[in-house]
Amino acid sequence: MPRLYEYQAKKLFEKHKVNIPSGIVIDSIKKAENAHNTIGASKVVLKAQVKKGKRGKEGLIEFSSSATETEEKTKKIINRIVEQYSEKSILVEEAIDFKEEMYISIFSDSHTRKPVVMFSLKGGVDVEELSISEDIYYFNLDIGKPYYLFNALNDMRKIKNLNSKLLNMLAGLLVKLYMIYLEYDCNLVEINPLVVGEKGLIALDGKISVDDDALFRQKELGFDQHSEIGIRKPTLLELCAGTIDEGDHRGSAHFVQIDPDGLESFEQGLTPIGFNSVGTGAALTTMDELIPMGYNPINFCDTSGNPPASKLYRVTKLIFSQPHIKGYLMVSCVSSQQLDNTARGIVKALLELYPETEGKPNVPCVFAFRGALDKEARRVFEEFGITDSPHVLFLERDWTEKDAVEAFHKLYSDFYKA
Amino acid sequence: MSEVLEFEVFSGGEIVFDLSLCKDCEVKACVEICNSQSGGNVLSLSEGLPSLQKSRGSIKKGGCIECLGCELECLKRGLNAIKINLPIKCFEDYLVELKKTGLKPIYQLNDHNS
Repeated sequence: MPRLYEYQAKKLFEKHKVNIPSGIVIDSIKKAENAHNTIGASKVVLKAQVKKGKRGKEGLIEFSSSATETEEKTKKIINRIVEQYSEKSILVEEAIDFKEEMYISIFSDSHTRKPVVMFSLKGGVDVEELSISEDIYYFNLDIGKPYYLFNALNDMRKIKNLNSKLLNMLAGLLVKLYMIYLEYDCNLVEINPLVVGEKGLIALDGKISVDDDALFRQKELGFDQHSEIGIRKPTLLELCAGTIDEGDHRGSAHFVQIDPDGLESFEQGLTPIGFNSVGTGAALTTMDELIPMGYNPINFCDTSGNPPASKLYRVTKLIFSQPHIKGYLMVSCVSSQQLDNTARGIVKALLELYPETEGKPNVPCVFAFRGALDKEARRVFEEFGITDSPHVLFLERDWTEKDAVEAFHKLYSDFYKA
Repeated sequence: MSEVLEFEVFSGGEIVFDLSLCKDCEVKACVEICNSQSGGNVLSLSEGLPSLQKSRGSIKKGGCIECLGCELECLKRGLNAIKINLPIKCFEDYLVELKKTGLKPIYQLNDHNS
């Protein structure tokens, strides 16, 4: 899910009157001294702006007591993040003294289909190690109803060992966080650690991620990526793919390059292939079968939720535009989506990409369909002669992911033997 | 009467009918498949030619489900009178950048062992 940088999350906190330490984002060593002096605190903390946890343990968070020290540590951190993460921003913040750290978050729970509030009086690093039953409180919110301060007070009263002052502060904070959660279509709003300072509760760190299906109406957040791609920058092909879902809510086309330059495949002695799936579960199962057989799906792609054929057309063109792939595998789960439309999108793309062979691809391809209208999908492939190619295999209905991978392996072996 | 029927679709792009070819088409497979699709029903026959039974505005808002059936059926059973153009934003930029690296998309490679 698209995630904001810490400094971006804190800007949203500040906009909603959640206290944060005063800070400045810098992107060069030259700006470090000035940032330190502008903040004017006796001690500052330098935090690398990379989208990952446990930064402190990796030396990406440092404290400094002088402008000279800030400059030195900025240099150290910037050099590391440029090299490792292609990032260069550091948040220089006033260091806050505190006694105890707390944790609070609101996240979308796919099981209950509700926002869930999670709170612990023991926050900070390794909060995930806490015992759920003893240390962590959680409760659902009803997304269809407004959430007022008195609701939050009632909910937070269930937490043991809260004095009335802290209870009031936490309830007020919770209402603000829920406003952020709703306003920005978040699936996570988290503060960890949350501490008590002179001004009241202070968010020392923040994490906000947004539902990627809502990005089209969250343009002000400035995301340039539409898929979960980890901590690296999106590739140009991923940016292209991101535009396919932009504003089009009909099904999804999630595309991520796992091994964009094919180097990982080469180093591991695996054969890079293009990959598409209808349904993420089928995708993961198939990918698990592919690796031991010596194939590396260098892209992940999920086109499910009954997308129009036009999405399949576009995404198929992207997959086949990858230069390193030596084959292509498409699998569907036992799908309720109209697989004839899925087939039409793929066939139109193949006809355009391979005009000289009338759509017959130049690499071994397995198209494994299961589900609604899979017979019609076969008809589309057959009618256009795609399956006439000895390098193309169409599987219908009765197969497992392992069958599909084994069929691909046989096709691949025959193709490269020839 | 215009020789072209053209309309835009929700995902960006357009569908173009060359009606001068449609005049000689006996099957009108585009209309048939469009009306067999749940949520389709964009096309109908008017004076023997494909025409729209929804407004261009409603089609652009998603009235066409973009099944691509009209183009493919016309290609297979009709007179290849329909072209659906579905651009992908920044795809051309990607191809230009790829070319600079000396690499080609897999579909442009003749020697698949290279």
